[in-house]
Amino acid sequence: MNTKHKPWYAIVLVSLFLLLSACSNDKPAKEADTAAEGQPAGGIAVYGSHDDIMTFWDPSDSYSNEIIAMNNMYETLLRYDTKDESFKNILAETYNVSDDGLTWTFTLRKDVKFHTGNDLTAEAAKASIERTIERGKGAAFIWDPVEEINAKDTHTLEFKLSYPAALDTIVSSGYAAFIFDAAAAEENGGEEWFNEGNSAGTGPYSPEKWDRGSQLILDSFDEYWGEWEADQYQKVVFKTIQEANTRLQMAKGGELQFVSQLPNELIKSVEEADGVSVHETESFQQLVMMFNTEAGPLKDSKVRQALAYAIPYDNIIQDVLGNTATQSFGSIPAGLWGHDSSLHQYNQDLDKAKQLLEEAGVDGGELTLTYVSSDEEERQIAELLKIELAKIGFELELKGMLWDAQWDMSKATNPEERQDILLMYWWPDYADPYSFMKNLYASEDEIVFNLAYYKNEQYDQLVDEAQEVAGVDRDKAIELYKQAQQILVEEVPGLSLYDRKYIRVINDSFGGYEDNPAYPNVVFFHDTYKK
Amino acid sequence: MIRFLIRRILLGIFVLFGVSLITFLIARVIPSEPAARWIGPRATAEQIAAAKVELGLNQPLFMQYINYIKGLFTGDWGVSITSHQPVLKELLIFLPSSLEIILGGMLIALIVGIPLGVLTAVYKETWIDHLSRGISIGGVSIPAFWLAMILQLIFYQYLGWFPLGERVSTETALLYPIETITGSNLIDSAVQGNWVYFSDALNHSILPMLTMAAFPLGVVTRMTRSSMLEVVGEEYMRVTKAFGFSSGVRTFKYALKNAMGPTITSLGLTFAYALTTTFLIESVFTWPGLGLYTSNAILSSDYPVIMGVTIFVTAAYLIVNLLVDITLAILDPRIKVNVE
Repeated sequence: MNTKHKPWYAIVLVSLFLLLSACSNDKPAKEADTAAEGQPAGGIAVYGSHDDIMTFWDPSDSYSNEIIAMNNMYETLLRYDTKDESFKNILAETYNVSDDGLTWTFTLRKDVKFHTGNDLTAEAAKASIERTIERGKGAAFIWDPVEEINAKDTHTLEFKLSYPAALDTIVSSGYAAFIFDAAAAEENGGEEWFNEGNSAGTGPYSPEKWDRGSQLILDSFDEYWGEWEADQYQKVVFKTIQEANTRLQMAKGGELQFVSQLPNELIKSVEEADGVSVHETESFQQLVMMFNTEAGPLKDSKVRQALAYAIPYDNIIQDVLGNTATQSFGSIPAGLWGHDSSLHQYNQDLDKAKQLLEEAGVDGGELTLTYVSSDEEERQIAELLKIELAKIGFELELKGMLWDAQWDMSKATNPEERQDILLMYWWPDYADPYSFMKNLYASEDEIVFNLAYYKNEQYDQLVDEAQEVAGVDRDKAIELYKQAQQILVEEVPGLSLYDRKYIRVINDSFGGYEDNPAYPNVVFFHDTYKK
Repeated sequence: MIRFLIRRILLGIFVLFGVSLITFLIARVIPSEPAARWIGPRATAEQIAAAKVELGLNQPLFMQYINYIKGLFTGDWGVSITSHQPVLKELLIFLPSSLEIILGGMLIALIVGIPLGVLTAVYKETWIDHLSRGISIGGVSIPAFWLAMILQLIFYQYLGWFPLGERVSTETALLYPIETITGSNLIDSAVQGNWVYFSDALNHSILPMLTMAAFPLGVVTRMTRSSMLEVVGEEYMRVTKAFGFSSGVRTFKYALKNAMGPTITSLGLTFAYALTTTFLIESVFTWPGLGLYTSNAILSSDYPVIMGVTIFVTAAYLIVNLLVDITLAILDPRIKVNVE
């Protein structure tokens, strides 16, 4: 609270308090806990978010913003580190995979306690994953390759897979891979109990108070297996502050340690402010243009290539996004294994575009582009595309829609009723290129995510093979994904326009923070400290 | 009086039905797929089909409406598409904090507006009158969200007197916690005798309340002034002067009492205005109330919530107006005679 000056009403308030206090005998105020040795004493860290922090509390179902807080209450067996594209052991001490890639064995840490007071065992870990699979909500589908889970002994967990998938990427997912005390949670009432603001995780922080729509306060977990240092934070508060300007003012005023997102136009004033700084990091988020390969003029790959040469990449990145993005290479974002910056990158070349159209025998036409109406950047990009595509003879009809309506249209039974171009953001559920390569472009009998309606047997084979060897031979998988991406570059069923950057505003006293795009917007507060 | 009440209540129910039908139809006409929203962006066709059954969206539109109306009477106002929680339960969580600033703002408007209105009537065409006119017109015409930001700029940024937003500071919430009883921080902390919390919560609520007070303050001041001027010109006021009553007694006992009718009516109308203004004010002050809840619902096209809030606001508006009419009938015997 800022108390630079005493306002006039302070006198009235003081008198009122004295009067009222006289009527009250009990003193609810309690002193701040004095930190014991090996306990955090860094005070309070406050995270400012534009959106409501908690929607679903159930760790099996969580598939939204709540992972920001959940990843501080719950832990996974492994965690993907984008810096060196490796996997860090979290609840697993060691792990190994059989030669055929079908059996993965994890040895669990022995000193881990759940927030419920019970010990982490292989049986408990198995129960938590099985509960997530059984409920089948949120991102539970990530466990599809898992056929059987066995608790070999108290601390040995074995997974039997139906095909050699990259289980290390799955168990490190920020969604649906949390290990928790399922038995205790079910005894207490399951989902209802979670939704009351309870946690059954092993994470460094546990929920203390939840004010819906306002804030979530987490308290450091005394029995956390990781060590506590004196400069680490005792409490972590996640605040929902919808107004960007208010978030900015609070960050400048030192009331927030971390602001997850701010509009580009406000960033400039932060750069000039004292006590706060702007951090730019890569994200796994790509803006993807999906072309209708089943109907209309875009059935022809030459026309799609022409469109790819007509896009004003530099204008989009500089003028619309204020350089908070970089043009994508291929379809796998930078930082995610499988990304390849040697792939061909389209640039704006209207002559080349016109030449390709001539070769295809297409003389322009009308195209429909759909985008999410609430996204101002998408709208501006769509307007730019309308101007540029007109230069090669295409009249673009722009349709700003709610995302569900946009998806509804994209799945129309008659391909002629679908859009020609669809703009959407895409990011992986876990650190695996599979989410981009398989979901977006592999042949589908029933349309789910492949909104380009693309069908290519050779591509399908490459992606399936890459997925199957990813668990045992990552290098080979990367090579296969590269070949698959080359097909996408040539055939252009869709096009990743740019990799979005995350812009964070961070208080200078907030140390140890490193962005990990595999866990969007998550701050692992146990890794941070007060400077 | 009873006939009047019955007529108003029946009319109110008719209006509520109309509003519920319109909001229900709008929610269904807008191109959107609530079942897909229920599951999330990466829903499969089977998941969407299952969600349709779960949400009753596979039934004919007419049956859906009948079920919705039935639910309204039995406390089942539908389930939020984004949070999967009952709408009524969520409404009741967010309502108290909105009422806190709405009622606080109205109170400020009454306490300041009525004396100011009387003063301007007494000192007509003096500088007090001109100043008050400026304040009133400003209060009514300045957009609430703009005023909110200006108040933040002055009282937070420059003077540092009040916090930027939120209901209570983090430190206070952590070190001096209170139990939730009514949902109003001011009432709950006062009841529990937690004066540290109370002062912090009051400190946080001053700017939102002042913003909220601006519109009703303008209305109350102008209404009181014009009613007072009208009443002062009445014959009986001249009689009170002839009887030699003091100026204060004549103004407050004989003139103000009779001039309060239009002020109370306008206050009822401004309450409905406040319910919608709070949407903007809460957004600027990060005040987790009904407004913030609704604006989030609008942004995420959460139709059950939008419909629930619309019906709630309509019902509140009707009830407040009914109460105003009853109050007027009690205060002014002439109204009672007319309605009966």
